[in-house]
Amino acid sequence: MRFLVVEDDPMIGESLRAALRLEGHAVDWTRDGRSAEAALRAERYDLLLLDLGLPGKDGVEVLQALRARKDTMPVLVITARDAVEDRVRALDAGADDYLSKPFDLDELAARIRALGRRHAGRSEPVLEHLGVTFNPATREVARHGVPLELSAREIVVLEALLAHPGRVLSRAQLEETLYGWGEEIASNTVEVYIHRLRRKLGRHFIRNLRGLGYTVPKTL
Amino acid sequence: MKSIRLRLLAWLLAAVGAAAAIQGIVAYRAALAEADQLFDYHIHQLALSLRDHAPGADSAQPGADPYEEQYDFVVQIWSSDGERIYLSHPHVNLPDHARLGFSRVRTGDWDWRVYATQLRGRTIEVAQPMAVRRELAAAFALRSVAPLAPVAALLALAVWIAVGAILRPLETVAEAVRRRGTSEFAPFGETGLPSEVAPLVRALNGLLGRLQSAIDTQRSFVADAAHELRSPLTALKLQLQLLERAQDEPGRRAAVARLGAGIERAAHLVEQLLTLARSEPNAAPLRLQTIALDEVVRQAVADVAPLAYERGVDIGLAARAAEVDGDGEALRILVRNLLDNAVRYTPRGGRVEVSIRRGDAQTVLTVADNGPGIAPQDRERVFDRFYRADSAPGGSGLGLAIVKTIAERHGVRVVLGNAPGGGLLVRVELPLRARRS
Repeated sequence: MRFLVVEDDPMIGESLRAALRLEGHAVDWTRDGRSAEAALRAERYDLLLLDLGLPGKDGVEVLQALRARKDTMPVLVITARDAVEDRVRALDAGADDYLSKPFDLDELAARIRALGRRHAGRSEPVLEHLGVTFNPATREVARHGVPLELSAREIVVLEALLAHPGRVLSRAQLEETLYGWGEEIASNTVEVYIHRLRRKLGRHFIRNLRGLGYTVPKTL
Repeated sequence: MKSIRLRLLAWLLAAVGAAAAIQGIVAYRAALAEADQLFDYHIHQLALSLRDHAPGADSAQPGADPYEEQYDFVVQIWSSDGERIYLSHPHVNLPDHARLGFSRVRTGDWDWRVYATQLRGRTIEVAQPMAVRRELAAAFALRSVAPLAPVAALLALAVWIAVGAILRPLETVAEAVRRRGTSEFAPFGETGLPSEVAPLVRALNGLLGRLQSAIDTQRSFVADAAHELRSPLTALKLQLQLLERAQDEPGRRAAVARLGAGIERAAHLVEQLLTLARSEPNAAPLRLQTIALDEVVRQAVADVAPLAYERGVDIGLAARAAEVDGDGEALRILVRNLLDNAVRYTPRGGRVEVSIRRGDAQTVLTVADNGPGIAPQDRERVFDRFYRADSAPGGSGLGLAIVKTIAERHGVRVVLGNAPGGGLLVRVELPLRARRS
């Protein structure tokens, strides 16, 4: 997944970025409202982690502008303001969930997964497709019940493809789920990961549509 | 005697007593004058009637006892050759000669009012003791004053009751104050209070208002502090959880380093909060002494040196010896916070310039950095607690708030401006030491 973290506190932002990257995700981090808006318009993100107490433009304003553009991206608000009125205001402005500081990393991850599930129109926590199971919480992948060893980045690519079986994701889109700003991408990284995944999951599990991208077919 | 009632009563009775005394004296004098007139008329008439119908030389001498017949007149008659031929009260010791007309005579310890008249050679004198008149006048005066006694008693009772009733609002206020809880600072009602008592209650309400705002300031400080501590604590929590998830040694070491930095930041914030609380006006009193400002600045530079070294920022000091009045420790904290800010905002390789200059009216300390400076519209707000124009690395947001409270308590001005190098110039204007005579 590709996340945008909007947080003005340097240590919190850095820690959030590090935590999400540990799981292989791509993370962009901005520290104020204006650059957050610029990023939201320029890139496509799977989820927005938004702090409210930002210098310059307030987080709620960023959120309102986002929803006014009819952007349906899942938004999880994290903030030190935890009075009931603040929560209500943020949720009514379009936030999908609210975590007050200080929060637990595990809880944050679980809520992110919940938002991701809902956004994909799915309710079961564990993805299952054509004999392959993927548990987003534990990051465990198994094929016909046999656990598989996959690197974090491989799991991220698989997760992106499994989210919507039948949907085609281009190489560029897959790169976006792997790398945030300022990270070096070797030009054939995605091919390498796809190749490794096919080796572990079966050749026909991932189909390559020339010129379009990759997809997990709905049926074999 | 502290009671209003008793004092009022005492004053009232004293006034009534004085009025009674004056009344008595005036009445006595008036009555005496009246009695004088009346009795003079009597003895005159008596003398005249005796003159016209005087008894002969052989009239019987009455043997009256002067002590029993206080209101009697004493009559003496002399013949044409000066011989006393009649004395009504032989025991009385009147002079043997008379002055014609009205006169006063003193015999032993008796005062007499005397009238003598003469006809066909015979002199007739009538004398009356003054004591008679005086006693009569005194009795009259007493009668005129007597009604004042029940009046005084009635007045005393009225005062007692009236004062009680009038001062009851005071007792009501006292009761309301007694029943107040420790955190209620609402003002007391001022309606219905006597105008002598209202100022006291008004002043009390003013004090309560000031207490309320002091407590509110404290409360908001605590609330702000708790709120501000959330972010550092969140960072610590995340950093610890990241440490737990570190997958290899380099990752673990990086996580430990980040956690250490997070703890430093939280500790620094707590330190700054304590410093700010201590430099608030309601906290400990300042210890004002004559201090060498250049020495204080040198110590502050030494305090900040480790941070400056770590950030690759140079600190230049051009300090003339200068003496000012102030609390040395507080001023050191003030300078240290200015330097801390300057170092944090100056990029690596930059320079912070500190100087002390002595002017005519004041000593001026300046701290200049070559950071981004502060935009004019932010210059008021940066002194607010926790306000940061942008996130500075490691800052607590309290540095300028601390500078402001210390400066205010010393009567010192702090002005923000632009440094020649493009950064922020902070000017601290300290009054010169008052000359000691």
